[in-house]
Amino acid sequence: MEPIASHENWRNCFSEVAPGLLLFARQWVQSAADAEDIVQDAFVKFWRRDHNIDNRGLLYAAVRSLALDFIRRDARRARREATAIAEAGPAVEPRFELEDDTQSALAAAVESLPRDQREVLVLKIWNDLTFSEIAGALEISQNTAASRYRYALINLKKTLQPQ
Amino acid sequence: MNEFSELETELRKLRPARPSPVLFERVGEALGSGRAGIKERRFPGRRWGGLEIAHPWWSLGFGLAAAAVLILFAVVNMEHRQDQPQTFAQSSPPSETRPAPLETVPSTSRSRFVPAGGTNLVYNTRDEGLHFADGSERPMRRVRYNTQQTWRWRNPETGASLRVSYPSEEIVLIPVSGQ
Repeated sequence: MEPIASHENWRNCFSEVAPGLLLFARQWVQSAADAEDIVQDAFVKFWRRDHNIDNRGLLYAAVRSLALDFIRRDARRARREATAIAEAGPAVEPRFELEDDTQSALAAAVESLPRDQREVLVLKIWNDLTFSEIAGALEISQNTAASRYRYALINLKKTLQPQ
Repeated sequence: MNEFSELETELRKLRPARPSPVLFERVGEALGSGRAGIKERRFPGRRWGGLEIAHPWWSLGFGLAAAAVLILFAVVNMEHRQDQPQTFAQSSPPSETRPAPLETVPSTSRSRFVPAGGTNLVYNTRDEGLHFADGSERPMRRVRYNTQQTWRWRNPETGASLRVSYPSEEIVLIPVSGQ
């Protein structure tokens, strides 16, 4: 991935990071529309500031912060959605573009991870963040980020192992 | 090369869902206008014309949502007295969740709201079995969908936005052909 700060044109930059940002936002909100609102606000905020490649984690921290604000402010709605999701099964709106059953199984395994492991995985795999950047975005230590990532992979492997 | 490299490769092949084209437009407008504040744009439906709404719209139910839509229509029509037909996002069969088709109308006034998107989130589907409608000899399968519909409008001039979200229920009868 090219450094964000090297892009002159916001559209190029946004095209590159938007899918990963949306996936990250949807760790907290079920609705794709809500996730888009959050990503829009975070990106605009980031872009208007004097952004720097060293601070890429700020963009992800902003998404996380806005998503948590959203959950707090929309607690009733969140409960309703959680109930609906629990009744209807996971991922009403697909988070991935799935091509076959293998990918569906993999996506389901990712969904089943604990949130703290999943958010690190999402930042590492689909956003190409370093452990240092992940640590900054999630306000955890680099060691914690690395160990959560490792646990996520171990759990995925267990889930995907043939019975 | 580590013990997880194969798994990591497989994970990277999974492509996250792409954002809607509307999102690019919205970001472009927000960055271009320079005055559409972050706070104003945050979480449409909570703020309209500077008025903070204390509770989410949907919590007041379908009735209030429908009333809000009617008021919006009335305000827009009264202020502009134009005969131009407004096309808003249309409801679609709830078999999947997807953005509703959009049609933007060129803005001529600061109070003009234009459709910005819509979703029809199906959160429960129940197959209620076979039924015979109106004495028909042909059986029909009755499927009940519980959905959460959300429609959004925004004012390109001021950056203000409005979101109406309400629960709905639809019953679909599907003819069954015997073999």
